[in-house]
Amino acid sequence: MKLLTHNMLMSHVKGVTKGYPLLIKATEVKVNEVEFNPQFVSRMIPKVEWSALVKAAEELGHRQDLPAELLADYEKNEEFLKKVHKVLLEVEVIEGCLQCPESGREFPITKGIPNMLLNEDEV
Amino acid sequence: MMEEAASQLERAHVHSVYDKIAPYFNDSRYKAWPKVRQFLLDLEPGSIVADIGCGNGKYLHINKEVFKLGCDVCRPLVDFAWSQGHEVQMCDGLRLPYRDGCFDAVLSIAVIHHLSTKERRIRAIREMARTLRVGGRLMIYVWAMEQKRRKFEKQDIFVPWNPNPQSTSEHGKTRRRAAAQSVSEALDNSDKHRKVRSTSSVADDEDLTCSVPQQRTQRLWFFSRSLDSVFDFGNLTVSRSSSRDMSTLLSPTGESEGSKSSQGGRGRGLIKQVSSFFSPPSVIGSEEDVFDAVTDLHRGQTYGGGGGDNNNGTESQAVSVSLAQECGSLALPDLVPFQKEHLKQSGGESEGREQQQQQQESTKSPQGDERQVDASCLRYYHVFREGELAELIENHVDELHVTHTYFDHANWCVVAEKVQLWKI
Repeated sequence: MKLLTHNMLMSHVKGVTKGYPLLIKATEVKVNEVEFNPQFVSRMIPKVEWSALVKAAEELGHRQDLPAELLADYEKNEEFLKKVHKVLLEVEVIEGCLQCPESGREFPITKGIPNMLLNEDEV
Repeated sequence: MMEEAASQLERAHVHSVYDKIAPYFNDSRYKAWPKVRQFLLDLEPGSIVADIGCGNGKYLHINKEVFKLGCDVCRPLVDFAWSQGHEVQMCDGLRLPYRDGCFDAVLSIAVIHHLSTKERRIRAIREMARTLRVGGRLMIYVWAMEQKRRKFEKQDIFVPWNPNPQSTSEHGKTRRRAAAQSVSEALDNSDKHRKVRSTSSVADDEDLTCSVPQQRTQRLWFFSRSLDSVFDFGNLTVSRSSSRDMSTLLSPTGESEGSKSSQGGRGRGLIKQVSSFFSPPSVIGSEEDVFDAVTDLHRGQTYGGGGGDNNNGTESQAVSVSLAQECGSLALPDLVPFQKEHLKQSGGESEGREQQQQQQESTKSPQGDERQVDASCLRYYHVFREGELAELIENHVDELHVTHTYFDHANWCVVAEKVQLWKI
């Protein structure tokens, strides 16, 4: 699971109103090399919840001094874009779980795949 | 109660079936629909797209400029998609684990026709709409009731999965058909590293081909009443039967509303068998007709298919009873009794031979392995009438505005845009 994906995920347990962002508890993390495309990263940035991304990166120990708030003119800042690229696309959680911040419910991640299926009583 | 029935039905006749057939899905003949591909290619670079019900992920590699993620309930298929390098999750389309408005586009290709009630289908569409940003677009493909050559009698059907591997001659035929395919197919084939790429011309992403060395194919279609109608408590006979058969989740044999009185008292939920037939392999795999079977099935068949009813008479109804009793563990060769009705000239002897042939086929596979999967792999489908999908959205999903509807290779397709709703 990449952090770009994680940024979209939320807890959808019935009754939960603040199920985002999910806390990451990783037991296995990989960093892969992914081709850097500055325009792509640039375009992704406005689509992500920035603070959730920074928090997730921090949880995995890959924050790399990313700022708490987005810089202005980030489109031209290649160094910055490279850091964002790494965090969005290269860092992957292979094993672990995602925890709902409100209910505490844990969604397992196995072989890189988060299992967000709910049980009968949670639906 | 309806919810439970619906989800049980889907678990038995969608989820568990796909779990079983997933391995065959991947080495089979599935291609990406050209219009879906185009939808993806037309997206603005930097878009985020979700494929809800992504299966083996065959759409997830299209367009490197956009970020794609997929989800499905079927673990083996999701595992496969992941092995191809895609971002995928396990989840249910009725409750998507994505935050509001995070996607620029969403795909739902051949998915919601597996949902057994209208309410659930609406819910699935609403969930996808919820995750779309305003201005984002949703593309939905569902199986059409109206096929090029004929129309189904009913909308709620059970389709058996036939995994019989192709004999070498059939394979040859398939390749030839593939050669005659469209440009998009050629594009597909050039992408050699993707195992999911197929050479077949089978319509949609469902495998309806099977090969029989004896040049014959057996297809069975089961029609059912929709769960929606089973729970129509205005119809007493239906509700009586349904309450008794909740556990089996099969619908009563009563056909249309008009004829219910004659069959209402049956007291047994049954899946009504419609037909079985034989057709040469060359007919199979027509892109124009997902249900090739159906065209041939009505040719020279003796039962009164007529208008909306499939009243096969007491004989086949009696057969239906025995079939339904074993529905959970139906094996295709067990349908021999019904074949008897339609092979009057063959008599009892050929039955025995039929069965033997069936068994022989399964062991004759080129790969030498037993690929026989029994007919407990019946997949539930609600096939859509013309206009039904668009109506569903227009009438029940305010946040979506339908921009395109069209018919594509036996599917009804809709593209809709998420609109901003203003509350006054």
